[in-house]
Amino acid sequence: MSIVETINLKKTYMLGNIPVHALRGVNLIVEQGDFITILGPSGSGKSTLLNMIGVLDKPTEGKIFIEGVDVSNLSDNGLADLRRRIGFVFQFFNMIPRLTACKNVELPMSVSNVNRSERKKRAEELLETVGLKDRINHKPAELSGGERQRVAIARALANHPKFLLMDEPTGNIDSKTAYEIIELIKKLNEEKGVTIIIVTHDQNIAKQTKRTVQMLDGLIVSETVN
Amino acid sequence: MNMRDIGSYAFDAIRLRKFRTGLTTLGIVIGIAAIVALLSLGQGFQNVITEQIETGFATNTLTVTTQGFGMGQSGSDIPLFVNDTQRIDDELEDVQISMAVIQKTCILKIGEDTFQVIVRGVDFSKYASVYNTAFIAEEGTIPQNPDDEMVIIGAMISNPGGNGSIIRNVNDQIELIWTTRSGFTIKNETYTGTIVAVLSEIGGFGMSGPSDTGVYIPISKAQSFFNTNETNTIIVQLTNSDEETIENVSEAIKNIFNDKVQVISPTAILNIITTTFSTIELFLAGIAGISLLVAGIGIMNIMIVSLMERTREIGILKALGMKNRTVLSIFLSESVIVGLIGTAIGIVLGWVLAIGASKVLAGFSGGQGGFGGGQMMTGGMPISPVVTSTVILGAFAFGLIITVIFALYPAWRASRLKPVEALRSE
Repeated sequence: MSIVETINLKKTYMLGNIPVHALRGVNLIVEQGDFITILGPSGSGKSTLLNMIGVLDKPTEGKIFIEGVDVSNLSDNGLADLRRRIGFVFQFFNMIPRLTACKNVELPMSVSNVNRSERKKRAEELLETVGLKDRINHKPAELSGGERQRVAIARALANHPKFLLMDEPTGNIDSKTAYEIIELIKKLNEEKGVTIIIVTHDQNIAKQTKRTVQMLDGLIVSETVN
Repeated sequence: MNMRDIGSYAFDAIRLRKFRTGLTTLGIVIGIAAIVALLSLGQGFQNVITEQIETGFATNTLTVTTQGFGMGQSGSDIPLFVNDTQRIDDELEDVQISMAVIQKTCILKIGEDTFQVIVRGVDFSKYASVYNTAFIAEEGTIPQNPDDEMVIIGAMISNPGGNGSIIRNVNDQIELIWTTRSGFTIKNETYTGTIVAVLSEIGGFGMSGPSDTGVYIPISKAQSFFNTNETNTIIVQLTNSDEETIENVSEAIKNIFNDKVQVISPTAILNIITTTFSTIELFLAGIAGISLLVAGIGIMNIMIVSLMERTREIGILKALGMKNRTVLSIFLSESVIVGLIGTAIGIVLGWVLAIGASKVLAGFSGGQGGFGGGQMMTGGMPISPVVTSTVILGAFAFGLIITVIFALYPAWRASRLKPVEALRSE
């Protein structure tokens, strides 16, 4: 059974009175252990697709199956439960500014009712994994862009997610840090077997992953195995 | 997310906005403090009044009067006469004593100074027997069969300052001037009497019983001096103070006078006063309640601002899998923390304010408590505010309910945000 499957996924936004077709029938299958790049220019619908897979948004038409479950049948609570098992890394990090790195990583575990000592231990371990052992008690404002993105990755991994979704993970950091982040992500896929879907417009990142899906105007136009 | 985590998350969030939170809390503090202060002061004041009335009244006495009593009651169209007591004595069981009181306002003259006083013509021995706790001589003695020129005065007439500087005492002469009018002729009648007794201090209002500012002359003298047989009131003492006796005798007296008189029992007066005070108290608390309502709107206001500022944060929380009701709980908790702190401080502050106000009031009325200050003076009677557990619990519940009601809408709105839209907000 594939971990993610989308069938004829469509999404139409209304921009004033004008309908904008962000997705126009996307079919995508992601298998356990995959490492996929969704590549495309801005406005091609790649972020919209990622939001659908991360059940942050609902499609206008079509279906999404996560581990065989049709998410359109899930209630708000069911969707919330599912989101806990999906690691999402945002382009703009999306940290809670008043919380330290450690508390930010603990947050999804606290949402999942993991007890205090356990979640603190795991948050520290994860921050160590992403190379931020010394920055545990720093707040996001005291961290560089690259460091924040590492915290975001650690947070995404906190609840042992089924898969990781990354929206332009290197979009707001310099190329050297971007390289380090990519290395970190690769390691997670290779060593820990984490399924990863990355959205980017950076060809260099795409080359590092196992599979590249090219999108244009709300449709998948090509799929290549790297 | 468990309650403890929700609480600490909410607490962290409001700690970040100290000034804003402080101002909102202040709103609640003021509202609650006003309610607590007004209610406890009102209760304290009511207690003082009740106590004073109970002092001035014997509980087994009835007052028969032709004057209107209470709201919206006009006087009677028939007069009462001094010898009406005869009929009450003869016809009614359970009546121990009945006596007429002739009451007039006169001018008391001392040297060049004049004061307005209430002069009561009473049967000294009956009066002393009915008001055996109040009509007691501090100086001199109350004569059983008084001569016409004998006068008994209240403590405040003897010692107007209440400071021991006695200006009239037993055996002093006293001059009372009563002004009558016949056509356009104004005539002053002067009564000269000798003080035979000074009453001990009574306190209380002395509404129909003895008062500290009263001047008492024998009833026979009052009849001749004021040239009347009409009386303002007849005081009836009963053999017992059972409610049934009071009721029966009241009805019987009304029957004798063809329902043209008022029969007032101390219980009735207390009831009227209690009801009046409760109404005033409720009215004041209502005004204070409005300020709490405004504070509630303040809570709603900052919660909505907070909601707008933190839309993205809510998006993040939802993306991390937080349920709608957890988001609702976080926002509600933030308000409830503010509400609880505000209410707690408000209760303490209200209590302190009530004590402070009672001190100020006591000092004020004490300063005013001079001679001739009127019948209604409290003479510096200390009002101790009564902070009952009902007031505290009520204020607590009210504060909390207001908080929750006004926080509910913003919290609900926060909980309904769509994750993807919330994340897009700046």
